[in-house]
Amino acid sequence: MGVVLRNLQKVVPLRRARLRRDVDTLRHILGVHKFDLGIICVDNNRIQQINNIYRKKNVPTDVLSFPFYEDLRPGKLPCPLHRDELNLGDIFLGVEFVMKQCQEESLDLHGALTVITAHGICHLLGYRHETEEEWTEMLQRESYILSEYNRLTGRHLEPLTKRCTQER
Amino acid sequence: MLKSVVRAVGSAVRISSASTTSITARALPRVCPTLCPPSSATTRPFTRSLWMLNNNGASSGFRPKLFTSKAFSPSVSCGCGGLHTEGDKAFGDFLSDEIKEERKIQKTKALPKMSGGWELEMNGTEAKLTRGLAGEKITVTFNVNNSIPPNFEEEIEQGQQKSAEEEPEIVSTPNFVVEVTKQGSKHSLVFDCHFPEDEMSHGEGEEESDIFAIREVSFQPEGDSDWKETSYTLNTDSLDWALYDHLMDFLADRGVDNTFADELMELSTAVEHQEYIKFLEDLQGFVKF
Repeated sequence: MGVVLRNLQKVVPLRRARLRRDVDTLRHILGVHKFDLGIICVDNNRIQQINNIYRKKNVPTDVLSFPFYEDLRPGKLPCPLHRDELNLGDIFLGVEFVMKQCQEESLDLHGALTVITAHGICHLLGYRHETEEEWTEMLQRESYILSEYNRLTGRHLEPLTKRCTQER
Repeated sequence: MLKSVVRAVGSAVRISSASTTSITARALPRVCPTLCPPSSATTRPFTRSLWMLNNNGASSGFRPKLFTSKAFSPSVSCGCGGLHTEGDKAFGDFLSDEIKEERKIQKTKALPKMSGGWELEMNGTEAKLTRGLAGEKITVTFNVNNSIPPNFEEEIEQGQQKSAEEEPEIVSTPNFVVEVTKQGSKHSLVFDCHFPEDEMSHGEGEEESDIFAIREVSFQPEGDSDWKETSYTLNTDSLDWALYDHLMDFLADRGVDNTFADELMELSTAVEHQEYIKFLEDLQGFVKF
């Protein structure tokens, strides 16, 4: 089925085709293009609501990942038995939150969304950043994905984990 | 964990083909699920059939008695030669109260404006929005008839238990047609769009739909009001999603985006309410005549 893209907000004008192309490029780099993936773009209210429900943090954020496989070892791809299980899960992008960050730092919105989606896909694939070791492992993976992405597209994107704190 | 959007899509698509049936009864709209997109569309509390069931507010006080002889021989209450029964009188009183209630919740008689330089033209229940953009003409038409989503049994129960402040609200979500005409072209590109919320699960509320979606795309002769069935029609149910996204971006570039869809809902809700009140007034006039 591929990438299911949903735009549930009206605050940020999004280019759907661009976002899909970027997400597809990331899936190819990671070798997970056979897996379905949901990308849901939401505003601050909605991501805050979801963040509160699932993480007990009543603040808006940039990305929330909901893995289909919850106990993956980082770097190991899932081994689905049925077509239904060719699914990585869903990534909620807080596009309003990301847009504000981009405005503050004069960054390109769709570039930032690509970086954040790469971060989200890493979470779907079992990467975490709760300990120093996990953080390093995830940063390495994100750096690889984005260096490949930059090589393929000529852009200059940097990993999100670089700017992460342990809080994230 | 959220129920995966990916897994929900298959069933949503199947339901969509059955969701276009016309609505014959005024009904409670769905209760907005937890994760349903927030809408700024002007809504109004449900005050139609439920209002009568509830009967706490203004009412005529009329209680029909079954099996009385009058039920079989209606009385003529005036000498004008027309039939004026007790039932007609009660009906007229009821309509008078209903109109009063509806006017009370009508925020303003003026229709809300669409941002983006759209011009509105009304023809009965049909609205036409037009704007020009660098040699292109974009027209959006919709009809407020049958534009209020159907209700669901469990939602009626929920609705009845809720307090007045939490009353569900009526929002008109009509299908709408976008026509893009380029200068000198014999054909318009026509998009048949809809608000897919009625396809959402009304239980868990975790299946996510776009605010509006394209159902079909075709070329139609420019300025021709008759739909040409022989034109190839692209159905989006089985479409390459990359192509679908380009079509959505194409509409967004012409001012038909989520903000537009939200404002259209607001406009349609106001028009529908206006037409409903007008209908009640006509009905009252007819019953009294």
